[in-house]
Amino acid sequence: MPDTAAVKKAQSRNERRLLDTRILEPGTGKAFELRKGEVLRIEQAVGNQCVDFNCFNLHDYKEFMHCGRTRTVHGFNPTEGDFLWSAPPRENAMLYILKDTVRRNDVLFPRCSAFLYESAYGFDVHTNCHDIQAEAQREYGLTPDDVHDSFNFFMCTEVARDGRATITRQNSNKGDHVDLVAMMDVLAIPNVCGADIMRTSNFALKPVRISIFEASENDLAAVPNVASMKSQRTPDQFRNAQIKATRELVADPDYVPEFVNTPIEEEQIVLELDEAEWAIFEEHARRDIYGDDHGAAFRDILFSWWEDRFLNAASGAPSTSGKTHD
Amino acid sequence: MGSEDGKRHRLVLSLNQQQIELVDRTIANGFAESREALFRLALKEYDERRGAKADA
Ligand SMILES: [Zn+2]
Repeated sequence: MPDTAAVKKAQSRNERRLLDTRILEPGTGKAFELRKGEVLRIEQAVGNQCVDFNCFNLHDYKEFMHCGRTRTVHGFNPTEGDFLWSAPPRENAMLYILKDTVRRNDVLFPRCSAFLYESAYGFDVHTNCHDIQAEAQREYGLTPDDVHDSFNFFMCTEVARDGRATITRQNSNKGDHVDLVAMMDVLAIPNVCGADIMRTSNFALKPVRISIFEASENDLAAVPNVASMKSQRTPDQFRNAQIKATRELVADPDYVPEFVNTPIEEEQIVLELDEAEWAIFEEHARRDIYGDDHGAAFRDILFSWWEDRFLNAASGAPSTSGKTHD
Repeated sequence: MGSEDGKRHRLVLSLNQQQIELVDRTIANGFAESREALFRLALKEYDERRGAKADA
């Protein structure tokens, strides 16, 4: 006999409450207010449709999602288990990718724009992600200049050997979806990518379904903890927190620069190596870069060693745990 | 550190205040007794790590 109380309890931990669901038609996008702890589902209504995405802090539009940081931390194809981060100096986790049934998303390509369709294809007017985003964001008073680099869901891209990024066809089906958990209150703006003459969405525009849920207990439990750092700044820490309201750039006559840790001053430190140590040093010294500047070659060894020993993220990527050593 | 009468090779490292801060913080975290000891540790471990594989 199943314990009905226990089964019910397990069910309730998994239960999501649907708050909103609607279809985004081709050529359109929509801004959704998403509160911390809510889940945004971007779902294929037909299949094979790229969805471009912008995201702002709902209470401060100057904090917005940053593809640069996101791709540095998570690579070129972020997926389930990764975060969408905001730009410096905020650098907060805005959304967490809880579920991704296709696992092919892109943060290499910018949004498509009217310029592209005019310059490459000769269109006077054509559906394009920049203008669709701008039109959706206009509902909240944002301007076309506020549209930022897009996170491109379901977009299949690769980096070729010559260093160029290329787009390939996708293979997503009706019902495929990405679930994003809001780590803060955000304005989330998905749009149906307007590219019907590119392979991005296999040469056709299709609707997508957007749903918002209140996260279940299990959803929230699956989100990893993110360390908070002093460097994740807020506007009250800015020397200039006033949002500039005029277009012209004019120098402030009272401006006095205050760059941190300046002046940068070098100290000379002498190190003596014996024959055996010198032989090891000679073996590793990058003469191709530093020539006879042994001090510079040793400094390279010193900090390369430090990276190997203490960094837990590659190539200077910010650590998601915020922990560099103990 | 080597024989008493062996040849010594002198290096001059130029480190700025931020680089020195990282060096000294690593020492404070217990990884070496002194800057000189940390530099030697770095060389030794760099060699151990890179010895086996091609340098990048
Ligand atoms: Zn597009």
